Amino acid sequence: MSKEQSSEKRKWKQNPNTWIMLLTIVCVISTVVIAVYVLWFYHSSYHEETEQTTYDRYYMMITEDNKSSIWRSIYQGACEQAMEENVYVDWLGEDHFQDYSVEEQMQIAIAAGVDGIIVTANDNDDMTELVNKAVEEEIPVVTLYGDNTQSGRCSFVGVGSYNLGHEYGRLALQIIQERLAGRTALYTMVEEEAPPEMQMQYGEVEIGSKERPVRVAVLVNAYTQGLDQNILCSGIQETIEQEREENLAIKLELLSVDDTNAFSVEESIRDIFMEQEIPDIIICLNELNTTCVYQAVLDYNKVGQVNILGYYDSDTIINAIDRNVIYATVAIDTEQMGRFCINALQEYHELGYTSQYFTADIKLIQKNNVEEYLEKGDSADESDE
Amino acid sequence: MRAMSKKRSVSLQFKISSIYIITNLLVMIVNIVLLIGINNMSGRLDMVYRDNLHLNELSDALGMVQDNMTDYLNAKTSDSLEDYYRSEQDYRTMVSDLNERITGVSFDRMERNIKNMSEYYLEEVGQTIEAKRGRNVEKYRIHYEKATQMYEYTNAYITNLNLEKFRTNSERYSDLLKRFRLFESVSLVAVLLVMASNVCIIIRFVGTIISPLKKLAGSANEVAKGNFDIELLPVETEDEVGVVTGAFNSMVVSIGRYIERVRESMEAERALKERELLMEGHLKDARLKYLQAQINPHFLFNTLNAGAQLAMMEGADRTYEYVQKVAQFYRYNMKKSQETVTIAEEIEMVDSYIYILNVRFAGDIHYEKQIDQSLLSVEMPGMILQPIVENCVNHGIREMGGAGMIRLSLYGKGDKVCISVKDNGIGMDQETIDKVMNGAYREEDMAAGSNGIGMDNVISRMKLFTGREDVMVIRSEGKGMGTEVCLYLWNQDIQIQKPEKPVEDADMMDGKIGGMKEI
Repeated sequence: MSKEQSSEKRKWKQNPNTWIMLLTIVCVISTVVIAVYVLWFYHSSYHEETEQTTYDRYYMMITEDNKSSIWRSIYQGACEQAMEENVYVDWLGEDHFQDYSVEEQMQIAIAAGVDGIIVTANDNDDMTELVNKAVEEEIPVVTLYGDNTQSGRCSFVGVGSYNLGHEYGRLALQIIQERLAGRTALYTMVEEEAPPEMQMQYGEVEIGSKERPVRVAVLVNAYTQGLDQNILCSGIQETIEQEREENLAIKLELLSVDDTNAFSVEESIRDIFMEQEIPDIIICLNELNTTCVYQAVLDYNKVGQVNILGYYDSDTIINAIDRNVIYATVAIDTEQMGRFCINALQEYHELGYTSQYFTADIKLIQKNNVEEYLEKGDSADESDE
Repeated sequence: MRAMSKKRSVSLQFKISSIYIITNLLVMIVNIVLLIGINNMSGRLDMVYRDNLHLNELSDALGMVQDNMTDYLNAKTSDSLEDYYRSEQDYRTMVSDLNERITGVSFDRMERNIKNMSEYYLEEVGQTIEAKRGRNVEKYRIHYEKATQMYEYTNAYITNLNLEKFRTNSERYSDLLKRFRLFESVSLVAVLLVMASNVCIIIRFVGTIISPLKKLAGSANEVAKGNFDIELLPVETEDEVGVVTGAFNSMVVSIGRYIERVRESMEAERALKERELLMEGHLKDARLKYLQAQINPHFLFNTLNAGAQLAMMEGADRTYEYVQKVAQFYRYNMKKSQETVTIAEEIEMVDSYIYILNVRFAGDIHYEKQIDQSLLSVEMPGMILQPIVENCVNHGIREMGGAGMIRLSLYGKGDKVCISVKDNGIGMDQETIDKVMNGAYREEDMAAGSNGIGMDNVISRMKLFTGREDVMVIRSEGKGMGTEVCLYLWNQDIQIQKPEKPVEDADMMDGKIGGMKEI
């Protein structure tokens, strides 16, 4: 009996149809399992949002404009430092409050009860009041780039404006000397190609003489004041006065750029080029101005006639230096600035006091060292990719 | 073993039902899974914009606080104050639900800011209301302005968060929608797979059910073609098909046996028929013998012989001759009636008969012969000519007195040998001729006194002897014009045999006759 049974079993096992049947059923079950798995997978992935780290403190960064890459760079530096300290920094104007003024954003930050405010301040009374109000609410304020000395801000992080001015003055003199010596290939080339009346002008009146002083223009913002423009300008002036050759006539002028609304900067810079007397050297004190002047020089075909001293090291500016359109630019270690901000606030929170001033390093980028930055930019791009 | 047989004896109905149940169950399971998935997803789709709805409510509640405050500042009614407190409480409750942790998620931080700003705002509003109640105009104005500003900021913040969330939610929505589409594809594939599986299962199952039927059909076809030597089908299952197969098997066996039996009985019947045919042959033979026996007067011959001896002893020569002739006639009858004779012997017999008649009727009959001597040795059955001549005498010339005339001619005509017996008697009409030829004249014939051998006997024997039908012709030109009877033999060197033995069967006899015809 058992023998028969086992033989039946064997027969059943040997039957290929049986295996086909089993395979089919397995197939169906696996389909169901896969379907369930897919469902489950999506369900779980749906709930897996970004990680939920909780931070100890919450700082807010408020800047006067949020388009320039300089602020992004500072914010990035601040963020990196903040992450290390388990602090979160928000850049208020980045997404939500672009159209709000710095003061309004300050009010929002105070109302939001943040643990610290980083703000590009100015010397206005309103700002002083707001900073003081924040301090009243026990919110430490770090002024960035622009200071408000009368207020109770705990620290200032910025660039040494006088040093910057000195650097610009030195560069301006360097340009003048190069032009007079005709040492720049660019200058020579342009002179040859220049229209006859220009050549006449150069021929008749020697540049740098009293009749034809070298015109150095500093573009200052009429409305917003990032850097301490006055100190900076006096730095330029003093440097030029002290270091120029005696018979060299240099006329330093401040050209006000209208930055009251979004697109006015570009327009007012173009206006400069429409005038009779175009400056020989233009010193720009922010990234946007530099870019606009650079584009205007190209558009009005003034390459070589107008030398630009720029500010900040964006890709456009670096490339312009490489192409000999911008003579030099002054780059600030922006990420360092961001780090300084966080450090100052943290220090204040922990110790109750902090250093009053933090000065960021300045780098000079010229034709001779631009390669280094080009490579850096490229490698940065690559690493981004 | 018992379990096995139990398992195998499930009915066809059960099998087919279980196929349907299994396949439907599979489809149902897959459908349920897919339905749950779809339900889940649609639920999630519904939830996507829940945050936005919540924020809208928050914004509305904030607006209510601001409006109620403004109302109170405007009219200072107790209703508006009450409204204000209620809306303030509502808003506070809603705000308290907001997140207050600082996390990496921007929404959380924004919620935290909104919460703080709302509290700040409510503080300002509270102070405004307080100042208004205390009629401190200067103070409540300042606070009102601050509160309004804060209201705007907070509202802007909520709007921003709402927008931000809307953007994210829209992305999530489109993401969900994509997943939904993917899920659709997966579902489609799953359904198709299940369908394919079901088809496989059904084909397999139906195949199992149908294959014995197919075998059965094949066997049935074979049987229908007449091949009963098929292998018996194995009964694999004990369902209805198994039963039918078993029944078919026994049917095939039964039919085989039945056919065997039928064959046997047919065999027997054939044997019976053969015997019957044999008997028929015997009967024919017997009849011939009987006919011949009719004209076999042994006794008469012996008597006559004795009469002839008596006449010779008495010296009556004519009587002796007469009796002698009569005796000769009967001896011939006795001796030759049963065998083949030559035409010469037959003619001699006719001669004797006419002599006897002439003696009887005093020489009334004129007898003439016209003989082709070369044909005299041709064989023919005995006792043929005498009955014909007897007929001529009896029916043709008896009433004519001395004018009756019989002419016997023997001549060859091609391969035929003709023996013609012609009289000049009363003749025959065609009807009588036909009757005679068909053998319908016997009774009347028998009524007249004769030696008993009728024309039909003659014709039959001639036919039997020659194996042909055209053995005799009767011609008559009408009443009083005489009659001619022509017998035909075939001038052959062959031995025309009289069938000595009874033939084995009818077929064989036919064959023999056919053969003779050919010759």
